[in-house]
Amino acid sequence: MSDWPARFEEELVRLGLQPARARRLSAETAEQAGEHGTDPDRLFGPAHLYARHLVTELRAPALVSERHVSGPVMLRLAGVGKRYRRRTVFSGVDLTVRGGEVAAIVGANGCGKSTLLRVCAGLIRPDAGTVHRTRRVGFVPQDGGTASWLTADEHFTLFGAAAGMVPRKARSTGTHLAARLAWRPAPGQPVQQLSGGTRQKLNLVLGELHGPDLLLLDEPYQGFDQGSYLDFWQQVRAWREAGRAVVVVTHLLHELQNVDHVLDLGAAGGNR
Amino acid sequence: MTALVVAGLSAREMSRRWTALLLLISLPLWFYLVRRDLTGQSIRMLALGIGWAVSTLTLFVVNASRGVDPRLRLSGASVTSIIGGRLIAMTGAGAMLALGYWALAGFDQDLPHPWAAGLMMLVTAVVAAPFGSLVGALLPRELEGALALLSVCAVQMLADPAGLVAKFMPFWSTREIGTYAVDGGSTDMVWRGLAHAAVVWLFCAGLTLAVFARRLRVARYPEP
Repeated sequence: MSDWPARFEEELVRLGLQPARARRLSAETAEQAGEHGTDPDRLFGPAHLYARHLVTELRAPALVSERHVSGPVMLRLAGVGKRYRRRTVFSGVDLTVRGGEVAAIVGANGCGKSTLLRVCAGLIRPDAGTVHRTRRVGFVPQDGGTASWLTADEHFTLFGAAAGMVPRKARSTGTHLAARLAWRPAPGQPVQQLSGGTRQKLNLVLGELHGPDLLLLDEPYQGFDQGSYLDFWQQVRAWREAGRAVVVVTHLLHELQNVDHVLDLGAAGGNR
Repeated sequence: MTALVVAGLSAREMSRRWTALLLLISLPLWFYLVRRDLTGQSIRMLALGIGWAVSTLTLFVVNASRGVDPRLRLSGASVTSIIGGRLIAMTGAGAMLALGYWALAGFDQDLPHPWAAGLMMLVTAVVAAPFGSLVGALLPRELEGALALLSVCAVQMLADPAGLVAKFMPFWSTREIGTYAVDGGSTDMVWRGLAHAAVVWLFCAGLTLAVFARRLRVARYPEP
């Protein structure tokens, strides 16, 4: 007997549902799978992802009427600065992002947007200021970040192993997340044979694979076609509604209406 | 667990670069064939060719992973599992290469101590993996790394094995064990070779780990 219902119920409770309601939803979901004569795992995908999807759906109406209900602080920057030798990349950066919020980092080329995102990730240390950040973080670089000779499935296995997931769960989670970006990884196809946009979809999936509370995205839509671009922002909204915090580096100002905070790093090489 | 996954996928990744792989696998063969008429020369050149091939392959694999490693760290992997996994894969590949060439040399040459010839090739492959890792850690581009490996192997080939310069080279153990395998003599040479190989392995693996521990460190920020 699969332990899918138990894991599903546990995840619902973890996401803030009352235990009784979580139990009822778990039982109903198991019944639904029974009616289809299949395992819940096959019908709904990984338990933890379906739980998040369901919680998002349940909370969506409330969020429409009450947009500014935000969760706990996931990222707080206070007076953060970074220098390379004598050149100040940025200084005095303040930013607070809570769960259920999206922040955009904008600015001219070379003003330090990607550097700031790497500071947030912890890959670069700031020279000034303080950073407080939630432990579970997903980072999606602007390009690279994948191994050219491995397939998408192998990337799911590799990144899943790094996060302590067993290979099977990592692959099923990766495939499920890819489907939400309208992408079905072809078996046996190495990453170097993927288009630039599809490679970025893989990057996004890898950033989200271990279920982070904070997503740091560095212009992740490079190479996306129109449909994929819309899917991406739809996905950002879904993350926000699921209570995650998202920080996205962007230069597309018309998307700023979709975000809660805008951090403008200004002109290249200049201080804020 | 993570180290084994990294090892398995590194091996798979390497196996797909089959043109480079074929060229590198065949490299020791050319070294061997050039002086096939002289047992001692051909066996020593073969072993050095194995060392060069394995270290170059490791260098390529290490450099190809530069973009992935920081993300693996952020996902929760330790530096030891990333570097260790890759080392396991490359050592395994090197050991297989050594085994293949040992079989060839065993059939083709009349060796006084065939087991020592096998040991020489195995030790060379085992040392070559962390040595290639270290060069990859210190030199971030493949061309620079490959040239550095070429220089080291060339010096190793040309330096007088009894001199000080040769002893500071990573594959001195190959020459020492090889002398016993081909010319005979005291088994002290084998032990000296093994001790040298152990020191080089520890130095290269330790320094590689230290370089990557610094390069792949992730700041531990306090929770909000």
